[in-house]
Amino acid sequence: MPMKGRFPVRRTLRYLSQGDVVFKSAVKVMTVNYNTAGELSEGARKFVFFSIPQIQYKNPWVQIMLFRNMTPSPFLRFYLDNGEQVLVDVENKTNKEITEHVKKILGKSKETLEKEERERKKLSHPATFGPKKYHLRECMCEIEGQVPCPAFVPLPKEMRGKYKAAMKNEA
Amino acid sequence: PGWSPRLVPARGRKSRHAPPAKSKAGRLKLPPPVDPEELLVVLERYRQHRLVLGALRAEFRAEVLQKKREERLGGEDSAELLEEHRRLMAWNDEENARQRARREERLRKEAEEEKRRKLEVAEKQARKMEDFMKEKEKEVLQLQEEAKSFITLENLDARIEECLDNPRNYNFAIDKDGRVVKRTVLS
Repeated sequence: MPMKGRFPVRRTLRYLSQGDVVFKSAVKVMTVNYNTAGELSEGARKFVFFSIPQIQYKNPWVQIMLFRNMTPSPFLRFYLDNGEQVLVDVENKTNKEITEHVKKILGKSKETLEKEERERKKLSHPATFGPKKYHLRECMCEIEGQVPCPAFVPLPKEMRGKYKAAMKNEA
Repeated sequence: PGWSPRLVPARGRKSRHAPPAKSKAGRLKLPPPVDPEELLVVLERYRQHRLVLGALRAEFRAEVLQKKREERLGGEDSAELLEEHRRLMAWNDEENARQRARREERLRKEAEEEKRRKLEVAEKQARKMEDFMKEKEKEVLQLQEEAKSFITLENLDARIEECLDNPRNYNFAIDKDGRVVKRTVLS
């Protein structure tokens, strides 16, 4: 079964997770006005085609709207939650330039992202054992170098309770 | 719900319709004896304990809620972040201004280009018209020249006399290069 779409790599998790634009919590709506023809909108078109899936993946709660062939020149408009609107002119800019610009003005900086990552890691302790949903491991038998799970490999007699009890009774 | 003596005890093994055993016919079950002073003391202690625990729980609950709320609203140094935001917006505005300048430049160039092209076309048109007029003028002049040697009613007789006086001999042969080769005498 072939893959769907012209550039199905855009649908892979690996590609999506490589997006590095995480918006600040104040950004609620992003609107892109661009044209389907014309060299001035070329960068905007590429941005919409390649970068917007990454952005939406990283910001699932931001509404993104696309408007085609409504204005002569392409631009982006961000609506923040305090009512402010940020206009970004993207005429004659390449895809990369647009992403860099957006990251600079409205994206979370790398330090903030790292800080948040560290906070998230602090909530859970990596050394505890429990259900896979909350912990890394469930049982000691999962770790290499430890006694394997008796469900798959029977324990040697010396470690089994019935043998030890039998020996004690004998002695 | 006091521990009142029951006449029919709660059933364990037997169903509700089975009669109690004969050995339990005169049994009167009573709750365990209670020392009133001890009871008072114990109740008081329990009350205090539960009070303290309830308060602690409420305290911790409030703390967790507060932390969550702060997390949600983005607990930050408001002044600093606002400053940062303003700076970035200013930079964005500059970028837009630069873009506008570039765009205007481009539009101006395009308008000039357009005008130049129009001018060129107009010039070419004018030149063509001029050439045409010149051609026509030349033709008219040539016709005027030729008109001088036309045969009109006045010089009709004179021209006829002239032709009859000078007979022209067309009896000649031509080779491939156009030179006359042979001439025959007109009879």
